[in-house]
Amino acid sequence: MRFLLPLTLAVTAFLCCPPAEALTNTSGPAVIHVSGRSVRFYYNRFLLEADGAVRVTTSQGMIVTGDAFSMDLKLNRFLVAGHVHVVNASGSQDGAALSDFLDYNRIYFVPIVQTVDASGRDPAVPDRWTFMNGDFVHPAKGREMPGDTFEFPDLGRSKPFLLAGAATVGARSYVRFEGNRIDLLNGLGAYVPTPSYYVNFSDNQHLGANSLAGASYDATYQFAGNANSISAVHLRNDPTNGTYLSFEQHVSGPKTYAVFSINPMTKPSKYFNLLLSDQPSDTFQLRTFTTFHTFQYGLSQPLESGQTTLIQATQALPHSFLQLSTTLTNYDMLAPKPEGYDGHGTLPNHPFSAQLNWQGFTQRIGKLPLYEAVNAGMGVQHDVFGLQQLGGVTYSSIWQHFAGLELFVPSLKIGNNPADTKNYYVNAAFQKNRTWNSSGHYTDTALTSGSLSRTFDRHFQSYIAYAVNNTGDYYGTMQNLAYPSYVPVIGGVPIYGYAAFAGFATFRTLSLDLTYGNGSNFSAYVLARKHNDFPKPVPGLFPAPPLNVIGQQQYPYYLGQPPYDLTLDVRARINAFSAIDIARTYYFNFGNQRWSPGFVIQVTQ
Amino acid sequence: MRALFTAAFVLLALLGAAPQSVTVTAQVLDYERGWLFITTGDGFRVAPDAAIVWGNPQTRDFARITFNAQGVVTRIETSHKPLPQEGDLAQVHQFSVALSPAAPNPELGAPPPGRCGHTRAGKRVGLTITVQVPPTTAATDSVYMTSDQSAWNAQAYRLDRIDALHYRTSLSMYSGTVLRVLFDRGSTQSIQLGQNGIEAKPYLLCIGDEDAQAFRVVVYRWGDEQSGQTQQIPQALPTPYNPAPFPNLPAPAPRPTLHP
Repeated sequence: MRFLLPLTLAVTAFLCCPPAEALTNTSGPAVIHVSGRSVRFYYNRFLLEADGAVRVTTSQGMIVTGDAFSMDLKLNRFLVAGHVHVVNASGSQDGAALSDFLDYNRIYFVPIVQTVDASGRDPAVPDRWTFMNGDFVHPAKGREMPGDTFEFPDLGRSKPFLLAGAATVGARSYVRFEGNRIDLLNGLGAYVPTPSYYVNFSDNQHLGANSLAGASYDATYQFAGNANSISAVHLRNDPTNGTYLSFEQHVSGPKTYAVFSINPMTKPSKYFNLLLSDQPSDTFQLRTFTTFHTFQYGLSQPLESGQTTLIQATQALPHSFLQLSTTLTNYDMLAPKPEGYDGHGTLPNHPFSAQLNWQGFTQRIGKLPLYEAVNAGMGVQHDVFGLQQLGGVTYSSIWQHFAGLELFVPSLKIGNNPADTKNYYVNAAFQKNRTWNSSGHYTDTALTSGSLSRTFDRHFQSYIAYAVNNTGDYYGTMQNLAYPSYVPVIGGVPIYGYAAFAGFATFRTLSLDLTYGNGSNFSAYVLARKHNDFPKPVPGLFPAPPLNVIGQQQYPYYLGQPPYDLTLDVRARINAFSAIDIARTYYFNFGNQRWSPGFVIQVTQ
Repeated sequence: MRALFTAAFVLLALLGAAPQSVTVTAQVLDYERGWLFITTGDGFRVAPDAAIVWGNPQTRDFARITFNAQGVVTRIETSHKPLPQEGDLAQVHQFSVALSPAAPNPELGAPPPGRCGHTRAGKRVGLTITVQVPPTTAATDSVYMTSDQSAWNAQAYRLDRIDALHYRTSLSMYSGTVLRVLFDRGSTQSIQLGQNGIEAKPYLLCIGDEDAQAFRVVVYRWGDEQSGQTQQIPQALPTPYNPAPFPNLPAPAPRPTLHP
């Protein structure tokens, strides 16, 4: 066990310290290093500005000094102006301004050229040169330039997100600062010093992949990185763990990526997560997700330790795909002890499961507004300590076969008005899944749903929906053995209705939703639902299913759901970088429960 | 009467003889060696005795520039703040000095390559994004858009459910903006897959210069969907195998979920 921690730290140390790019390295994105008396980063516009004794070095081998620097990271071009001095492989030249359009391989330059006139004097005269494709020896002289080549952005009164003395830019990829101060309050100018800061703006979505659970608040401090890696510390808060720190390391290549995290890092219950993906071709992908859990104070002897690994291989086929998924879990990696570790018990199970699933593409049925998709497969569940007991038999392996069907009608328009707000839309879906188990039963799930919706204007929209979920667990002649009839007693009151439950449940939900949206700045919805379920919900009869770490319900259908609920959800943008999402549900005093246990609050950035 | 005519004649003669001056406002690129450069890239000769008001022009400063009839700068009034627009910068381009004769640039006529090449940039455009989700999407699920504009934050833009199979959001963006987007259920594990089960490549969106723009997407499958298997989520070990399709049957109870 102890060797795992040093190993983790070694892996972390290896991953988190990417070597600095050599400025002359021309492979990968162009790298630009800029320094000056004041280097400022405007996060909301991806603008990098510098003033005073500016020095710019590019991976093409060009060194430019001047009074001011401006770079639009999204447009991928920069400008140096004022007392410019350029040094490159062909020599050096003074000028008024230089603008490098990196995407187009064009450098526009206003040189001030020393000449000799008829009187023998050597006046300096401006000119216009264009360097094309890195050729500094043969500039195109006098060539017309784009109209906005030397324009500075209008920054208005906006405050920079970050102040620094230097920055390194990987073109179309990242910008990294060292020795800087960042605005903690995103636009209000509350600057705090940090040793380094990294911002990724590449189109590589894999560098954004994270292996952390959700949180109510997550402030990410990316302290190191380059075009292929990011090292970050997260300050997080959630109702389950409180406030804590986490660490995350991302590494990404053209076809592979990896994310390693420790979350929470500063709480006894720690999860070490490793996400790996490899896509050797356009039709095959391998993904793994490993979680290693310990309950330990600092790096002391763990009191709990478990591990699970999911391996998923997907092969694309014509009009379908095949997916193999396996899960290996070891609930306890500590030596078994009957008395446990300081009150933390041990669980000897180490189950294994595997599924092979064939999934067909979604196909339209003829010219009908009806679409279908089917899937089928087989799997196995195994646990040497047993998975299920039935009729005196203990099953340690259960083989499964499954098949599923989806039918749906998306957006069937009712009405023919050219104004979309005058029409209604009908959506309907039906899903049926059956799983046969070698332990003598099969389960059926059928979900039928439909909705009628209308958009009233560009702010308001509403829908009414009805859904019926039938879930059945069929044991045939063993039905009464599997689900024997009994009358539970809750608070001294017998619940006779539950005696009719024999493994077949029906969940009916009627929903009415009204949504208001005002661009991306503010949105709110109110969702009212009425549940008419069998077996009937009785307060205290069904254990409440676990919520996720931020207090959200994980199961769309569960026994004992309160018959009425009303959810209000508000999302508002706080500033250019952050939004807050607040939700709470009212249960109409069902079982003395008026409101959901807490507000679900998420601040996203 | 004669005196009046004489005065008018003298005034007209004086006005006609006075040198024609031109004044413009512009942002300063550089001021050195007797030259003033503005952000059009034009360089103008500054008269040795030019009046410079409010200090020497610095890069990024704004200036009110007066030219004499010969196109030489005779007065510069500087400001750190933008000045009201005055004069025509295209008109004073004739006064700019360049050593080499102007040569045409054939690249300027052609639209820039790329998806946004024909778009007039900088206009506020309403963008409506509608996503059709797979029927397996639970009624209580939230759907988000993740993009390269938000460092691929999986919860950057939340969409609102508008019916059983669709989510929608409206955004206001500048035309010419190019962004890559994907859709998810609030985590990077749930980011949409292609219909072939492989991770989808991001959609490339170019915000055009129409007043309003609509973007419709069909999501065939979420990344965290798995048929017949317990979903793996971070920060949790999987719950033990449950042979019953109900997660929360009453306990204790005679039921087939008994763990041996």
